[in-house]
Amino acid sequence: MDTLREIFDPGFLLRNSVYISLLVGFACPLVGVYLILRRLVFMGVALPQISSCGIAFAFAVPGGWGLIDHMHQGHFAGDEHTLAFIGSTVFTLTAILILAFLERRGRGLAEGRIGTAYVLAGAWSILLLVKNPLGERGLLDLLKGEIIAISNFDLGLTAGTFLIVMVVLFLFNKEFLLVSFDREMAVTLKKNVLVWDFLLFLMIGLTISMSVLSVGPLVAFGFLLIPPLTAHLFARNMRQFALFAACMGGFTAIIGFCLAYRWDYPVGPTDVALLGVLYAVAFIGRKIYLGFRTIQAH
Amino acid sequence: MTEEFLKLEKLTIGYNSQPILSNISLTIKRGSFTGLLGTNGSGKSTLIKTILGIIPALSGEIVYNAGYGKQPVLGYVPQRETLDPIYLLSSFEVVLMGACGRVGPGRFMNRAEKEWAHHCLRETGADDLSRKRFSQLSGGQKQRVLIARALAAKPDFLLLDEPTAGIDAAASQAIMELLRRLHSEHQLTILMVNHDLQAVRRYVHEIIWLHQGKVVQGPVAKLLSRDKIEEILDLELE
Repeated sequence: MDTLREIFDPGFLLRNSVYISLLVGFACPLVGVYLILRRLVFMGVALPQISSCGIAFAFAVPGGWGLIDHMHQGHFAGDEHTLAFIGSTVFTLTAILILAFLERRGRGLAEGRIGTAYVLAGAWSILLLVKNPLGERGLLDLLKGEIIAISNFDLGLTAGTFLIVMVVLFLFNKEFLLVSFDREMAVTLKKNVLVWDFLLFLMIGLTISMSVLSVGPLVAFGFLLIPPLTAHLFARNMRQFALFAACMGGFTAIIGFCLAYRWDYPVGPTDVALLGVLYAVAFIGRKIYLGFRTIQAH
Repeated sequence: MTEEFLKLEKLTIGYNSQPILSNISLTIKRGSFTGLLGTNGSGKSTLIKTILGIIPALSGEIVYNAGYGKQPVLGYVPQRETLDPIYLLSSFEVVLMGACGRVGPGRFMNRAEKEWAHHCLRETGADDLSRKRFSQLSGGQKQRVLIARALAAKPDFLLLDEPTAGIDAAASQAIMELLRRLHSEHQLTILMVNHDLQAVRRYVHEIIWLHQGKVVQGPVAKLLSRDKIEEILDLELE
């Protein structure tokens, strides 16, 4: 409790890191819900890696051309942040659109394509940075899930982007649900499914880009997938599904930060490990509950 | 009953530029109850999906009666296995989706639309299922809910893709009785894919029979007579 009070103190040095953890913990599960519903779980794993590759590309290529002559310690600042944001967003959106298009065409092996994209993105992230030690240092922190030096600019940009994503998801929930649940029905109701798919993927892509930029790929895909999977065990309707997932993400982000701060662990892996524990407890708890109900029914 | 509602003119349908049916022409009359017959792979579902605009026609035209004034609203009842059980939707929420065509983007369903959805559930005898999760319903119950969803769109033309497939005989008969009542009470134009010849003979007025790339159309009494069935099968021998 003391740790909790300390990290929410306005004078706490890492307060921006707390806030960004909370934002990512809350926003990622909301878009992750759609990845689960559309059975694009593997995409939820591959996209953060592709986003990291975009960041590596943004550092390595302009760095190699001499466009960036310095790199700040720890997290990025100013021009580097903008470049990283552009690299991450362009790579994520391009990948999500291509993968979704190929998925819709229904040809070939979707898991094979996504797995290949994941492996290639991981390999290229390393190759692009291996000759760029300054960029490597920044990306290494991201890969480790170190959520330490978050500037006010990072926090504002992330909060602004997530706010837009949440408003769009809320306003167009009816359309997103319709084109996801029954695409053919949506066509017969004269809905432009391509536009709605594009808008949904844009929101997913933006959330992933911003999350990877702030907390790294490991934490991003942890929060994208585990809270919705856990929430699906208990939720009775779609509203509960989204709400439970977002609340679990936010709760884990705060508790994970407290544990990491208290025991001096990296925040990202602590968050993901905690998510795993909660998922296991929820899964076993549900099995026991259903077992009791079956016994009572007999 | 005799007014033309839909006309397919030299229509070629198929997937990825590969035609399944070529140059077919047929008409559907307003207020008719038409059965679409044919063996597996004969193009029944492809034809329905082309009429619905889900699959683009490779060539030819789909023309609705010019005197109709506006593009008709289509109600679609898909094969129920195509809907993923992972969605935590109640039957009422599924039916409410039918009203999405009238409620613009970013707008929420108002009370009138919700009441209409309940009315459609009552029409199909599925009112007691409204709070139950759609994915947990039986085949026959799901079919009633999907018909209610199609009705929620306030359709001029109802298209059903094998509504009685995989359902036991009693539920299947109840679904067909429901369709007959909806047809007679609302003068709905209905096109239905169905493999069950007995049901088609009993409930349907017109038949479109797809056979080896050819289309035969006519009244049930004529097309399902022993002589005509033999004639159609002879086409196969030729």
